[in-house]
Formats: sequence, C-alpha cells, structure tokens
Amino acid sequence: MMKVAFGQTTIFRRPVTGFFHALVFWGFCIIIFGSIEMVIDGATGSERVLKFLGPVYDILMAGGDIFALLVAVSIIIFLFRRLFMHIARFEGTEMKRRSHLDAAAALTLILLLMISLLSMNTGYSGYRNLAGGSAEGIYPVSSLLVLLFPGLGSAGFHTMYEISWWAHILLIFFFANYLPYSKHFHVFMSVPNVFLSRLWPSGKLVNMDNITREVKLMLDPATAFAESASDTPPERFGVRDAEDVTWKNYFDSLSCTECGRCTSVCPANITGKKLSPRKIMMDLRARMKEKGPLMVANGRGHNDNRSLLRDYISEEELWACTTCNACARECPVNINQPELIIEMRRYLVLEEASAPGELKALFSNIENNGAPWQYSSEDRLLWARELEFKVPVMADLHARGEKPEYLFWVGCAGAFDDRYKKVVRAFAKILDHLKISYAVLGSEETCTGDPARRAGNEMLYQMQALQLIELFRGYDVKKIITTCPHCYNIFSNEYPDLGGNYEVISYLQLLDKKIADGKLQLNGTSGISSVTYHDPCYLGRANSVYNEPRSILKNITGSLTEMRRNRSYALCCGAGGAQMFKEAEKGDKEVFIERTEEALDTGCSVIASACPFCMTMLTDGLKYKNREEEIRNLDIAELVALSMKL
Amino acid sequence: MKILVCISNVPDTTTKIRFAEGNKAIDTTGIQWVINPWDELSLTRALELRDDPSNGIKSVTVAHVGKADSEPTIRKALAIGADDAVRVNAGSSDAYFVALQLAEVIRKEQFDIIMCGIESSDFNGSAVGGMIAESLGTGSVSAVSGLTISNNQPVMTREIDGGREVVAMTTPLVAIVQKGIAKEPRIAAMRGIMMARSKQIRVYEPVPVEPLTEVQVFEKPAPRAACRFIDPDNPAQLIDLLQNEAKVI
Repeated sequence: MMKVAFGQTTIFRRPVTGFFHALVFWGFCIIIFGSIEMVIDGATGSERVLKFLGPVYDILMAGGDIFALLVAVSIIIFLFRRLFMHIARFEGTEMKRRSHLDAAAALTLILLLMISLLSMNTGYSGYRNLAGGSAEGIYPVSSLLVLLFPGLGSAGFHTMYEISWWAHILLIFFFANYLPYSKHFHVFMSVPNVFLSRLWPSGKLVNMDNITREVKLMLDPATAFAESASDTPPERFGVRDAEDVTWKNYFDSLSCTECGRCTSVCPANITGKKLSPRKIMMDLRARMKEKGPLMVANGRGHNDNRSLLRDYISEEELWACTTCNACARECPVNINQPELIIEMRRYLVLEEASAPGELKALFSNIENNGAPWQYSSEDRLLWARELEFKVPVMADLHARGEKPEYLFWVGCAGAFDDRYKKVVRAFAKILDHLKISYAVLGSEETCTGDPARRAGNEMLYQMQALQLIELFRGYDVKKIITTCPHCYNIFSNEYPDLGGNYEVISYLQLLDKKIADGKLQLNGTSGISSVTYHDPCYLGRANSVYNEPRSILKNITGSLTEMRRNRSYALCCGAGGAQMFKEAEKGDKEVFIERTEEALDTGCSVIASACPFCMTMLTDGLKYKNREEEIRNLDIAELVALSMKL
Repeated sequence: MKILVCISNVPDTTTKIRFAEGNKAIDTTGIQWVINPWDELSLTRALELRDDPSNGIKSVTVAHVGKADSEPTIRKALAIGADDAVRVNAGSSDAYFVALQLAEVIRKEQFDIIMCGIESSDFNGSAVGGMIAESLGTGSVSAVSGLTISNNQPVMTREIDGGREVVAMTTPLVAIVQKGIAKEPRIAAMRGIMMARSKQIRVYEPVPVEPLTEVQVFEKPAPRAACRFIDPDNPAQLIDLLQNEAKVI
C-alpha cells in the first residue's frame, strides 16, 4: 500500500505520464510543509516559523523550490495533453463538458500555485540578497530566477514577495475549497483509499453470508421446507441503489480522478460496448450526491422513484463485464470496479430473477445436471476412454481404502468440450508418467459454481460449493490440482469462506516444479518455430501466476514472443464472468478477435493458452481470421506432452 | 380470474434412461426431476399475466399428480412465483388417470383458465389437456402459442398451417400450450425461493380411476451403428450393402 500510494507504483504502469504525475505528487508532499508554514505565519504573525528545523528546513525549502519548477513543467505537459492532444481515455459518454472544465481548472490552479510559489521565493531571495542578509532556507531555482530581474531593487523584490505571498495563500484557500466540488478531491481521498483497499487477490468475490444461511437451511432436510427461521424480512440482496453499497464502494467513487485508465483497458469498452468502469464509479458518486441529502432530510426509507441501477447504469453495461479485473489492476488509487458490477448483477438475479436468456439456461443446466452445458454427469469420464491407462476414480480408491495425494479436478470443459478433452488427456498422461498419486471424481464431479457466481447467482454458487465441500470432506481431500484457472481461483480464494480449505495447485505450478526438480525432461518440439502465451485473467491478474507458464515454455521453445499486452496488462479473451455462455453485448468488435489479432501480430506459429475458455475463444479467433490451418492454439499441457513424446 | 397451471415432473433432459421391473417401469434412481419444459413455459406466461394488474388475474395455482417425493418440483414452481399449489397424492399411471384427477381438483377449486403443456418430455403422450376439458365438459384450445387477456376474456393465438389463428373464448377453458407461449422460462429469485418454503401445498387423496393403459414393455432405441468404411476399390461391396443390408436400392 505504501508502494502504491507514496511509491506511485500503479501510476508508473504508464511510465511517461506516470513519471510526471509522480513528480507532482512528490512535489505536493514537500511543498505542503511550506504551505503549512505560511498558514501558521499568516495566523500568528510569525515569520518563517519552521526555520528552527535548521538543515531540514533548508532541504524542505530547496526541495519545494525545485519541485515547484518540476510540478509547473509537468502541469504544462498535462494541460497540453488535455487541451491539444486527443487522448482517447479523456473522452467517453461519461465525460461531460463539466468534467473537462473541471480538469482544466484544477490544472490551471496548480500551475498558478507553482508560479506564485516560484515568484514568492524569487522575491524573497532577491530582497534578502540585496539587503545583505542571507535567506532562511535554500532556493536553488529561485536564486537563478533572481538573475532574470537585474534592474529590480530590494524594494521591488520585497513587493514581488509580498504580492506573491498573498496570491499563493489565497490560491491555496481557494483550491482547498474548490476541491470538494471537483474530481481533484482525490488529493484527499486517494491515499486513505489505497490504505483501506482490500488485501486479498483480485479474483476473490465477497461472500454473501445471508445467502449462506438460506442455502444451509435448504440443504438440511430438517429445515428445507420449514418456514423461514428468521422472521425479520431480509435486507435487499445485491445493489440496486446508493444505500445498498458499502462505505468502501462510496469511498472508491469519491477517490476517482476520472483518469480513465480503467476504461482504457476494459475489454468490453475497447471493443465498443457501453460498459465503462469509470462511468460506474462516477455514476455512484453522482447518485450518492443526488440521493444522500434527500435521505438525510427525509429518512433512510426515502424514495425518489429513481435508482442507481437503470436510471444511471443500464443492465446492458453490467452484463458486458468479463470480470477480467484489468480495470481494478490499472486504477492508481486501488478502486475496485468489478465488485460493484457483480453486486448489481446479484441484485438483478437474486431479487428480480433477471438475466440474459442464455444465462438463465446456464443456471438451469448447473442446477439440473451440474454443468454449464446440457450433458449427463454420467458422461464425465468419457474423455479418459481413449487413454492407454486407467484414470483412477476417487470412489473406487475409497472403496479399496486407498487415498490419493491429489484430487485432479477435471472441470466441466475437460469433461465435455471435445477440444479441451485433449488437454486433460495430455495432462493425465503427464501425471501418469510422473507416477503422481491422484484420482478424479468422475461422475461425482459437478460445476464449482464459478460462472453462476460471476453472473450474480450467489445462491446457485453456494449450493454447488457447499455440496462439493461435503463431498470433499467425505474423501478427505487435502490437495486439489486443476487445469482450469476458474476452478483454481474459486477453490483457492472463495471456497475457504464456506469452510472449504485446500491446498490448490495449478497444473502449471506442478509442471514448472517438476521441471525445476529435474523430474520432467523436455526435449523441445519439432515444427514449432515461435510461441506466444496468452495469460488467462484468472491465473494472471487474479492470482499472479505469470512466471510458471513462461518458464515451462522456455523449456520447450527458444522463441517465446510476448504480445503487446502481456502479464498483468494482458487483454481478456472475452469469455470470463460467464461471457462464455452468452452472446456479447452490442459493440463494434468481439473481444476474442481483438486478442487473436494481437497474438497474430507476434508472428507466432503457436498460441499457447492455459484455460479452456481462452482456448475456445482463441481457436474461434483463428478460424475467424482464416488462419487455423497455419497457426495452432495449444494448451501448455499439450505442448509439454508433445515435448515428452507422450 | 384464477389460473391453474398443471405441472408434470419429468427427468432432466440429460438423464440416462434405464428401466426396472422387467422393463415395465422407469428406473428412478439418481434421476434429477424437473418441471416439464412446456409446463414451465405455461407457468411463466401465467405469472406474466398475473404480474400485470390490468389483466385482473387474482392468483396462479399449480397442480400436480404425484407422491410426496415430487414436492421439490412443486416447490420449484412456487419459488418461480406461483401463489399456491395442489398435489393429488397418487403415482401417475397414465394420461387418463392424471387427467381425471386434475379435473376433480378443478371441480373442487374452480379455475377460469386451466393451462397444460401440450405434452410432457417423458412419455410425450399429448393427451392430458384434451381429456381434462372433456371430463369437465368445457372448451379447449390446442397448440396455443400466445395467450393474452382482452376485456376480461382470454385471447389465444394458434400456429396453423401457413398462418396463425386467433381465438377468443369464454371461461372456463383449457389452454393446451405449445412452445412459444413465453420467450424463456422464468427462473426463481432468491426471495421467491425463501417465500416458497412457507407457501401452502394442499394435498388431496385421489378419486378412484381405472387407468386405461398398461405398459407391456419399454425398449430403448437401437444405438446408432458405427460408421463403416468401404474400400474405394471394391464398389461391389457398397452395392451389396446398400441392396441387402440397408435395402435402399
């Protein structure tokens, strides 16, 4: 947090503008001491009250003087960018004329503050030098500026000092009073917001405990059809309006500087959909401003027949989110936009039973046959039929009184998606080759609930999760290894909230470790000249698994070329957040095409992926671009198996 | 007006069907039961009509013929939004038996619009709706793909060959419903699920009815044969197979 706030690390994700912003921030941190001194001097009639600090005072004054120039230069650059360069992220439907004026006004005020500070220091250095005394503090920049006014006498410099002093202090007071009405309020809110930001991985959603209570009642035969245990009418599920958000959501919205970094990395926004994470935050702030005073005046139950959802944020915007977390990763002040989006989806699904038709079908499938698609759970082991060895099944082992070290979680795509079945077969071959003690659940496996949860159906997710946790308890499962990043994320980050604590290992982590231990010898692969790797959001941004896939690939091919957006900057394939199971919202491009084009730009012959949904998307992208004959999309497990000639 | 939606519970579409009792019954072990898709759409449409106050629908009731183990299906219908439910405590033996039990319920409780799916996805008999109407002596409209209320009167749309027929009828009536009656089935909201727990299910004992049918045997369709490849140098074999085995030439 200290790094993000004072080290400006997230700001530096855009190195050039980030550098100038950091100059302004650090400048403000040091100049503020001079401003505090001015206020004390002004109030008490003292002069240079902090001078007792001695050498520290010299450093503060010298720092302030130098930074005043650096800040002024940075602000001029920012103003130039705002006024003369057409930067996409400064535009958007939510960016009204007011927002642009506000930005320009704030920058102009800071520029005037710096100019008045420099002229104050110049006047001070000038008249002190001419009066023969030495100045309190050191002013490296202003001492040089003094030379620009050779004809100005002692009295002239003193007047310059006095005028600038008053101009500067008046500007400070004006600026301080302007801030609460401006997006520039972030100078107050951002550091506390960063300090108060959530510390868990971005892939983790907040558990709804009121749903857990209901689901537990439902799963217990004794209470399943009994009347509700609590007679108090439950509060609203999810977020419909300003009063439903957490204080942190509101804090987030107040910290937003409208910089648009979130929106500029949003896959939905990039491809022309209506969703803009910045707009979500600005809408919350605007709605709070509208409804807050009315609620204070008329009581909490005040109803103005308007709401955040629909009057400000449309359903179309909410359903376009892939929950890729790129926006949250990019936000310099650690705002969490996806959390609010998911909360509004929760309201739509849990309170109104409203969702795009395909998602309703998805819910029914998970509820009825335990998979996002309509397949019988009895067919969950068909993928293993073509293998030369028998894949161990947990129930069989259990019946024999044996216990494997790992549960290999195959996932619904591994069980039912014809293309991805090849991936789990390849991984099973590797497990078999390594003589790892594992078993699969076979027909007992069922959806983890991930797509339901990210589509807002917390109830269905918890039904699935609590049943699986019970099943795992029966088999005393301790370690889970999985090829699916979505299952990996939900087991590692979200099941613990419901009492399911396991050591969860991504297949990439296992493979990487076995290679490092020398247990897995890779011999390259013939016919693969160059590879690029697509980071799945739920391994990368959500769980920081960036190095393992790259290190494995480097053992297979000498030529690993990165896409323009990689690692934490990687663009989503477009399938996350249950998008896999529905049509995309209206836009001007499909996300998977944008990402495939980026992969093709590397000139690779193989796109390596590590997620069943990414695989579907990228393979579709290759087909769309008519490149599927020459360029292959292979999972890392397949590349490893190829290299091992399994 | 009061609407009754008759619901049947059927195995989920992904179920692997197996037989029991010497192939005279369905083996129900491990089956996930769901509301018959046609009935689910009927229910969705009934709730849409109720939720618009201008239609003057007082309540939507669901009725089901089945033993206590079918109650989860009824609760599901209540969670989706039905106001209350009736269960006739009997295993369903055939369409005639079910139709007469439902007719008895309707006689007792009086409904204005009775909605039935045109068929159920288990036995696809397509008989219950017509039989209910016959037993009650009321009118029925089959293959209804649209239902609205206009001036307190139900107006139904039917797909017919090369066009569409719009029928208005006096109540009570039986609407035998085709897919298309609602866009997509409604799902249960959380509050609906919670409220379903305390909604009432009235249980009636069955009236004596002799089923008209008796199952002799169930058979599965023959599994699809594997694809056979014929050597291109041996056209005689192809002709032989087409003539003698496939008997198409």
